[in-house]
Amino acid sequence: MSIKDQIKIMVVDDMATSRGLVINGLEEIGIKNITYETTGDAAFEVLSKAPVHLVISDMNMPGMSGLDLLKSMRENASTKRTGFILLTGSDDPSLVQRGIKLGMNNFIKKPFSVPQLKSCMERVIGKI
Amino acid sequence: MPFIEWRLKPQTGDNTLDTMESIKQTFFQECEDLLQDLESGLILMNDGEGDDETINSVFRAVHSIKGGAGAFELTDLVKFAHIFENTLDEIRSDRLEATKEVLTVLLQSSDLLMDLVEAAREGGSCNEERSQKLMDTLAGFIGAPAETPTETAMPDFEPQSMDDMGFQPLVMDFGFDGDGDDQQAAGFSIHFTPTAKMYAHGNETARLLATLASLGDMKTTCEHADLPDFDDLEPEGSYLSWDIELTTENEEEDVRENFEFVEDDCELIITPLGGISLPELPVLEDLEIEPTPVAIEPETLEVKAPEPEVKKTETKKNTETKTAKPNTGAPATIRINLERVDRLINLVGELVINQAMLTECVVDAGLSQDPSVSSGLDEFKQLTRDIQESVMAIRAQPVQPLFQRMSRIVRKAASATEKSVKLVLEGEFTEVDKTIVEKLADPLTHMIRNAVDHGIESPEKRVENGKPEEGIVTLSAAHRSGKIIIEVSDDGAGVNRERVKQIAIDKNLIQEDANLSDSDIDNLLFMPGFSTVETISTLSGRGVGMDVVKRAIQSIGGRVVISSTPGKGSTFTISLPLTLAILDGMLVTTAGQTLVVPLTSIVETLIPSPEDIHPMGSNSVINIRGTFVPLVDVGHELGFTQEPTDTNNCVVLSIMTDDGVQSAVLVDTIQDQRQVVIKSLETNYGHVPCIAAATILGDGRIALILDVDHLIEQAGQRTPSPELPQIAAE
Repeated sequence: MSIKDQIKIMVVDDMATSRGLVINGLEEIGIKNITYETTGDAAFEVLSKAPVHLVISDMNMPGMSGLDLLKSMRENASTKRTGFILLTGSDDPSLVQRGIKLGMNNFIKKPFSVPQLKSCMERVIGKI
Repeated sequence: MPFIEWRLKPQTGDNTLDTMESIKQTFFQECEDLLQDLESGLILMNDGEGDDETINSVFRAVHSIKGGAGAFELTDLVKFAHIFENTLDEIRSDRLEATKEVLTVLLQSSDLLMDLVEAAREGGSCNEERSQKLMDTLAGFIGAPAETPTETAMPDFEPQSMDDMGFQPLVMDFGFDGDGDDQQAAGFSIHFTPTAKMYAHGNETARLLATLASLGDMKTTCEHADLPDFDDLEPEGSYLSWDIELTTENEEEDVRENFEFVEDDCELIITPLGGISLPELPVLEDLEIEPTPVAIEPETLEVKAPEPEVKKTETKKNTETKTAKPNTGAPATIRINLERVDRLINLVGELVINQAMLTECVVDAGLSQDPSVSSGLDEFKQLTRDIQESVMAIRAQPVQPLFQRMSRIVRKAASATEKSVKLVLEGEFTEVDKTIVEKLADPLTHMIRNAVDHGIESPEKRVENGKPEEGIVTLSAAHRSGKIIIEVSDDGAGVNRERVKQIAIDKNLIQEDANLSDSDIDNLLFMPGFSTVETISTLSGRGVGMDVVKRAIQSIGGRVVISSTPGKGSTFTISLPLTLAILDGMLVTTAGQTLVVPLTSIVETLIPSPEDIHPMGSNSVINIRGTFVPLVDVGHELGFTQEPTDTNNCVVLSIMTDDGVQSAVLVDTIQDQRQVVIKSLETNYGHVPCIAAATILGDGRIALILDVDHLIEQAGQRTPSPELPQIAAE
């Protein structure tokens, strides 16, 4: 059993396009267990009952933003150790700073290639 | 706007291309929604009704379009969306005030973005000059050069380095083996506790374990601590559980499959061997249970001893997530290929016909008196109707997107004519059959352009006439007595009747000495070949006049009428059928022909006494409770017979036309009232005056569906007495 087979990843993004691109990338990398949610609130609800290893969440979402989700996750015992990669359209340093403070593991800027996504994840979970 | 998600298949070769193409299609679909959000948000802001969430959603829309466009390397789109997004960001963070001037540019930008998306979708290109100009203006607002984002296209692969941001990725240790391909003890630790039910259902643990063993190497321990004394033993109870350590290359699903048929009758906990346990850990910690890694040693099961129930449920939940519906909480919406819905509608049409045929057969067989047969038939009829309505509801969609598109037309028209015009939308959530919505786009566009171009006066003139500088065009939709009413009205100058009449005379459309009422003159606008603008303006005069609008609306079974008040403005009222597929009709006989009269236009039916009917010219009038209304003899008018209908033995249908004129039609008898499936005459035969469409009756014969309004209009034109309805009763 390799990481690919074991790791559970949740993709959180309200936009089907962006969600599709991430899921597609993850599947291309060979990740087997991928779930997704379309809002931060729904994601948090599911995560607090059934944590995953890694969350890849978009920043810009209606309602709970990506960082809001991260904050909630870090404040919750069952999700505080879950990996978090922020998907962002901008590389605004203040956004990254806020992410660091909240304990984000890494971030990836859109648009990204599959190798970029892989490398971004590897920096968090080790070689895939 | 969630919809059924395509699940992506594992990628192999060409598949990737297909998947990317399908995501791209999703992107364009999503763009439609986003552009709509963008526009409606900007309009709200323009009306001064926006709040923080409005600007946020406007920003998000542009941001998401840019994001998606970047992934597909749509550079023009990314370039423009980038500066647009930046401007919105400035407004969002209160660094730029959203003045009227700014909002006008933003609305123009939204229009351009729409065009750019369209161009990207069609593979065409957009007016670069226009794009550049807007980008410069936007850049001017935020005080930055309209530079291109540095990473429009996907940059070549390079390891992400966030060092310059002072960011080092936080490494997680999940206890995974670093080298992914290196296999550790692959397999599962399985805890299996059957319930008594499982045995009652005829399943055996021994057999289950035997098949499980075929998946790999297996070590089994039977837990019998719960076994009671022999005296207390229930012969049909279940007291044993098993701990199994299975070494296998198979997937968890394969293991689970083994227990497929007993899933509900047992407790099953499957944990990967030597694998990960992170997600479970915090939960266990939370419950103050010793956080023993679940799967490393077979003895783990002892963990369950102190608080077995809690742990089991938690673990079970975890295993459930895999199969859990991913879309929790989001309202479920799906996108369906329209063809499928159309096929369903056609089938429902067939069902309606079939139901009518069956009813007829039952009557012919003399079974209609049998209570069980007739109640069964009634039920069938009701079900058919319910199905039909449900299917229609699938196709129904709010007119909002269509209406919103019109605000764009107004903006364009207003700027082209240098007028200040605001579009007010009412009833935009009224639902209309999708086909109708689509077919309304062109006529509405034309009418809206007309309203701005010809209806609304120039700002100077409006001020002169004591009106506010900004003209108002109102577009409204409503359901009224089984029809959809769409109105386009303006608060402009109204129809210049003198001029309209003069033009009609000049163009030989009417006689110079024609005696026309105001509404007759207004209706001249709908005559083919009429155009009040001598030189074709770039805007509304594109070689098509209101007659084209009228024809387009007639082609979808609708009607359009105009009412106008000089100095106050004009209103065009379109009335449309709810659906193009099925209508409720009254089956009538006249001169031996069976006709269908749409139920929506019938106010009442009555059996007149012959003395109530008075001949007048070539037509008649009928006295209905003291009011004389024109009476049209259907059989005679349509030329089925030369003889007038026998007024001693007839039925009168009192009709209210769409323009609100009361009238009546004369037929021989009423047969029935039922749903009929509309079959277009135009597509199968050709247009017949006064006939809206045809239908197939229960016995397979064809019956014509009457266009009552047209029939009354035609009869009225023949009788030179437009004042007829006003005649008071003696």
